[in-house]
Amino acid sequence: MLTMFVVLDGWDIGAGALHFLVAKTDPERRQVIAAIGPLWSWHEVWLVAAGGTFVLAFPELMAVSFSGFYLALWMVLWSFVLRGISIEVGGHINDSLWRSGWDFVFAVSNVLLAVLFGTALGNVIRGVPIDGSGMFSMSLFTDFTARGRVGILDWYTLSVAVFATVLLSAHGATYLRLKTVGPVHERSVRLARLLWPVTAALFVVVSVETSVVRPELFQAMFQRPLAWISVVVIGAAVWALATGLRGRAESRAFAGSCGVIAGLLAGAGASLFPVVLHSTLSPEHSMTAYSGATAERGLRTALFWWPVAVALALTYFFVIMRIYSGKVRPSQDTQGY
Amino acid sequence: MDDAAFWHRLQFAFTITYHYLFPQLTMGLAWFLVYWKWRALRTGDERYAAAARFWAKIFGLTFAVGVVTGIPMEFQFGTNWSGFAKYAGGVVGQTLAMEGMFAFLLESAFVGVLVWGEQRLGPRMHFLAALGVAVGSWLSAYFILVTNAFMQHPVGHTVDGGGVLVIQDLGAYLLNEWALIQFAHNQAAALVTGTFAVTAVGAFYALRGEHTRQASMYLRHGTAVGLVATVLVAFPTGDAQAKIVAKYQEPALAAMEGRFETGPMAEITLIGQPNVKERRLDNPIRLPGLLSFLAYGTFHADVRGLDAFPQETWPTNIELLYYAFHVMAGLGTIFIGLMALGVFQRVRGQLESGRPLLWVLMLAFPFPFIANTAGWITAELGRQPWLVYGLYRTDQGYSTVVSSGDVLFTLIGMAGMYFVLGLVYLYLIGREVFHGPDHPIQPSPYGESAEAKVTIG
Repeated sequence: MLTMFVVLDGWDIGAGALHFLVAKTDPERRQVIAAIGPLWSWHEVWLVAAGGTFVLAFPELMAVSFSGFYLALWMVLWSFVLRGISIEVGGHINDSLWRSGWDFVFAVSNVLLAVLFGTALGNVIRGVPIDGSGMFSMSLFTDFTARGRVGILDWYTLSVAVFATVLLSAHGATYLRLKTVGPVHERSVRLARLLWPVTAALFVVVSVETSVVRPELFQAMFQRPLAWISVVVIGAAVWALATGLRGRAESRAFAGSCGVIAGLLAGAGASLFPVVLHSTLSPEHSMTAYSGATAERGLRTALFWWPVAVALALTYFFVIMRIYSGKVRPSQDTQGY
Repeated sequence: MDDAAFWHRLQFAFTITYHYLFPQLTMGLAWFLVYWKWRALRTGDERYAAAARFWAKIFGLTFAVGVVTGIPMEFQFGTNWSGFAKYAGGVVGQTLAMEGMFAFLLESAFVGVLVWGEQRLGPRMHFLAALGVAVGSWLSAYFILVTNAFMQHPVGHTVDGGGVLVIQDLGAYLLNEWALIQFAHNQAAALVTGTFAVTAVGAFYALRGEHTRQASMYLRHGTAVGLVATVLVAFPTGDAQAKIVAKYQEPALAAMEGRFETGPMAEITLIGQPNVKERRLDNPIRLPGLLSFLAYGTFHADVRGLDAFPQETWPTNIELLYYAFHVMAGLGTIFIGLMALGVFQRVRGQLESGRPLLWVLMLAFPFPFIANTAGWITAELGRQPWLVYGLYRTDQGYSTVVSSGDVLFTLIGMAGMYFVLGLVYLYLIGREVFHGPDHPIQPSPYGESAEAKVTIG
């Protein structure tokens, strides 16, 4: 569910973060927004749905982590609000000053979101200072080391944030390459070819760092079948991406890009399991999936309706994708928005 | 109650009050859109299509603001109310997740299509999109109201060994008596907001003498639906709501009416100022016996006052609760009169020419927002001091690890952002209204894509 959100909204965020790099003129910027415009709220809905499911399935985990990450989470919320407004409101008045102002808000909030998601992922992998009371509270930064009384930002989470930002940007470029024609398309092609190798290089760096911060994770990874599956998925996705980027197979490249992100998240999840929130203070304070989950009865009740809801949601997804399929061209008339 | 709890409550109250200004308008407008799209489909009359197109733009803007202001709400359960999330997440999470998965997905999947897809889809599909949005938004409201109803009157749960709530009977939880009544009352009130908005825009055009055919249609449809909706808010739904409060939240009823002493022939208070310290109502104007009748069906019924309950179960802000309830009930009564007058003038054929009434109808549109907000303040303050009525107190529920300073920081940030958002929203809505409904289909801002002339169905 959360993976679904990251993959879907990832392309909006990535495209948004690249906004000023890819699109130099106003009609071109319109084109980028046009490529994600009709879909953004729908992608964010996955976040709301994931949030609801999260409360349902892991009330305790949600309670502990959200209040612990308090300030960072609010920054995420603000970025979401700003991004939503800038897309919706920016196109309403046909005035270059009005639009360029909102374009700026759009780009900045998207970069912030990518950075914050990376930071969040970094925090989950590194662990948070849960103490004997089962709660934690973190300041934004402490001494930037990744041990003991950590802050939200330290050298490790920052590097994961950089990695995530580049990854999502590459994902966004791949999406724009699929969805656009003209100069935006050309630049997206070049950016995608540049950003994916950088992503790969950063991935190696982050992996090495992870083995320093949490050495036990890699051992766990080799024992879990799900982690193996995710490695296979990533391998296949990288192949699709590489061949897709070299040739003209734009859909294949995009599918590969989605696969890489999904595979990375699944792999990280599988290696962490069953610990969902690792304590940097002492392992026995860590929260596991079992201690964080809701009572079994509640989950079983939810299993009655949840699959139905997911099936419905996927149906909408295909209808919407069908309606909005096809390329977005640079708009010739600037009238009417 | 200590400091931190106050800031947490203020923040939630602010964000949810602001958020709910927008959904009440979209839920009220949704059925107008469905009706006009349906008429356009059946008659082929361009007037209906133009009306739907114009209001869909206002709907789309309002919906977008509703989405962005709604996203923080769900996360605030975890960030600011972690105690509550831990305690009741297993129960209220059911409906919060359902709302996202069933209703909100449906609604937002089709709202883009509704606003920009008229050319791309045929009229039939476009009508179905309007219907999908309307059903989605009302379904959304139902799931949220089930969640609130559980906090007002918890049913269908048990307490497990760890002292947290677990869902026991999903059917009982979803069909909570409180939720059904609250849904009827709340949706009727949302419809009132929608009808006042439609009527106000109609009156505005009529007074300016422009878009006359559209203006006449908004005035006719707005007042007709408005009269029905305003009556429904009071009876049977408001009446049922009062009775259920009398049944399950007696201290709340006493505080709403500023009733400090127990006794039969309980009077209803029209005006008066509660003086909690002296435990009396200053300068009261009352109608005897009516409260007994409204709450229990007979004039002689004994209605207990606040003196019958221990003070720690009293609502924590009796004054505000009292005024919120009276503002809501007073405005609701005036709305019925106003809409009845509108329909009466229309029957006489003088609705579009009587300028004084048009002025009143034009300026009346903010008041349903006030009445709806006052109604929610009544519901939520009446629930105090409980977070889950009778089970869990509000001062147990907030995040103890978050300091007051952090809460105030985010509250100030939120207030600033929402202030700007409100200005932008009002400006854009004003622009659309001045621009007017009589225009051909506009090109989508998302651009037309050559390969995307896909029609479905």
